[in-house]
Amino acid sequence: MVAIEIHGLSKRFGDVAAVDDLSFSARAGAVTGFLGPNGAGKTTTLRMLLGLVTPSEGTATIDGLPYAELEVPFRRVGAVLETDGFHPGRRARDHLRVLTVAAGLRDDRVEEVLDQVDLAGVAERRIKGFSLGMRQRLGLASALLGEPEVLILDEPANGLDPEGINWLRRFLRTFADRGGTVLVSSHLLAEVAQTVDDIVIIANGRLVTQSSLSELADRSKSGVRVRTPQAEALREALTTQGIAAQLVSADAIVALETTAEAVGLAAAGAGAVIYEMAPERFDLEETFLELTTREGAVR
Amino acid sequence: MRDLIRAEMLKLRTTRSFWGYVASSLAFVPVSIWLAIVTAGQGGSAFPVLDSSDGLRNVMSAASSGALLLLLIGILVMAGEFRHNTVTSTFLISPDRKRVVGAKLAAAGLVGIGVALAASLLTLAIALPWLGARHVDVSLLSSDVVLPLLGAITVTALFPMVGIGIGALLRNQTVAVTITLVWILLVETILVSFAPEVGRWLPGGAASALSGVATAEGGLLPLWGAALLFAGYGLAFAAAGTRFVIRRDIS
Repeated sequence: MVAIEIHGLSKRFGDVAAVDDLSFSARAGAVTGFLGPNGAGKTTTLRMLLGLVTPSEGTATIDGLPYAELEVPFRRVGAVLETDGFHPGRRARDHLRVLTVAAGLRDDRVEEVLDQVDLAGVAERRIKGFSLGMRQRLGLASALLGEPEVLILDEPANGLDPEGINWLRRFLRTFADRGGTVLVSSHLLAEVAQTVDDIVIIANGRLVTQSSLSELADRSKSGVRVRTPQAEALREALTTQGIAAQLVSADAIVALETTAEAVGLAAAGAGAVIYEMAPERFDLEETFLELTTREGAVR
Repeated sequence: MRDLIRAEMLKLRTTRSFWGYVASSLAFVPVSIWLAIVTAGQGGSAFPVLDSSDGLRNVMSAASSGALLLLLIGILVMAGEFRHNTVTSTFLISPDRKRVVGAKLAAAGLVGIGVALAASLLTLAIALPWLGARHVDVSLLSSDVVLPLLGAITVTALFPMVGIGIGALLRNQTVAVTITLVWILLVETILVSFAPEVGRWLPGGAASALSGVATAEGGLLPLWGAALLFAGYGLAFAAAGTRFVIRRDIS
């Protein structure tokens, strides 16, 4: 079941398109990784999804409705967008109490989420004394107050130690396995690769690819590196056959999601001389980098 | 809406700076009374003798002497959300931003009324025995006592509204506080003293008229006019700020 649907979403700041005709979806019962380099438009997209930023065009819906039109949105969607969304002089418990009162939730939710994120012991401390990891957990506690079915997290692994990252992974896994929807952004694929089921990759505000993690992993293994003086001609020949290829230097290209046989046939057709051809095995991180920089090179 | 107002009150109560502002606001009262009494009768219309209508009002104006701090609380209530990024969770809970600003206006107004009542009682508690010791007869129901106290409540309840409007428009707390203090304490004070025909139409001039404080030329608006004008400023700032906040991207 599709829980989050982004359709034709754009945001322009003056002449700059931070998000450009972006469409993707995230399903219930899965963790969807929302990936892209810093400045790719991830945060702007999430903020449009949550009604904090007005889109220039397009729609972003949760269970078919824009966030602001959901009935009691805080009980449907929990979001952590920043690590510093706290008054430093307020005690952690008071921060949660404020949100609980504003959202009209039961008082005991405060103690429940404090236990859930393991902050009960420091709840009486003022937030200015909190480490980045503690702030991340307090942010998560705030998002969980309304017992939401959808979690939206912007770079939640920032500032977490390995133990904290592990904890977060297990937490998100359990949340999704119980039928929840998780959309989690990151600029590092490795950070989320162990947790996510689906992947959405954006660069320069545009969608690069949306697929399941396993599809992306399969695709990653089937690159072919070719050294040829007719690199540009071969790239064009491959592209007309629907094979994605990228110029990596003046005399080398990398063809993606294909086999050496297919590249060899295309080379023969294009009359390209081949000095060297080797199937390449990319790991996921390289694929990610490759995909995002390729999109970057287009513009 | 009730939940949002309660949450705004809780936000205020759970920070120490709020209590600091309230305490400072009340601390103005004894200082103002002392000043009014020791300078009384030192010549000129700004220093009326104690045993006169103007003199009594001047003492009673102490009740609104700390009202400026409520203006700062108003700025804090709105600009503080942007400063500490809490505005994100605030608007996530209530995507209807008008309601958020409305709750803030209500909460800050209630605080203003509370502080004004406390300041009025404090004024009476300090000024009456002191004036008695100076053999000045005071009737609690005389207009020279009642009007400055009512004025104090009006000013103190409306000042946070102006502050919330300024906070929403400028969003940067430090800049908002600085500009406001320079404007009120410097620009308006000079205008009220040297160009009362302009100064009396400004928020600070209207506030002074409401407080009953004696001025050099007595060039301020009559009470009812000042009350209307001041309420108008409160509404105008609040409305402008609300409009601005509704349309802003929170990024």
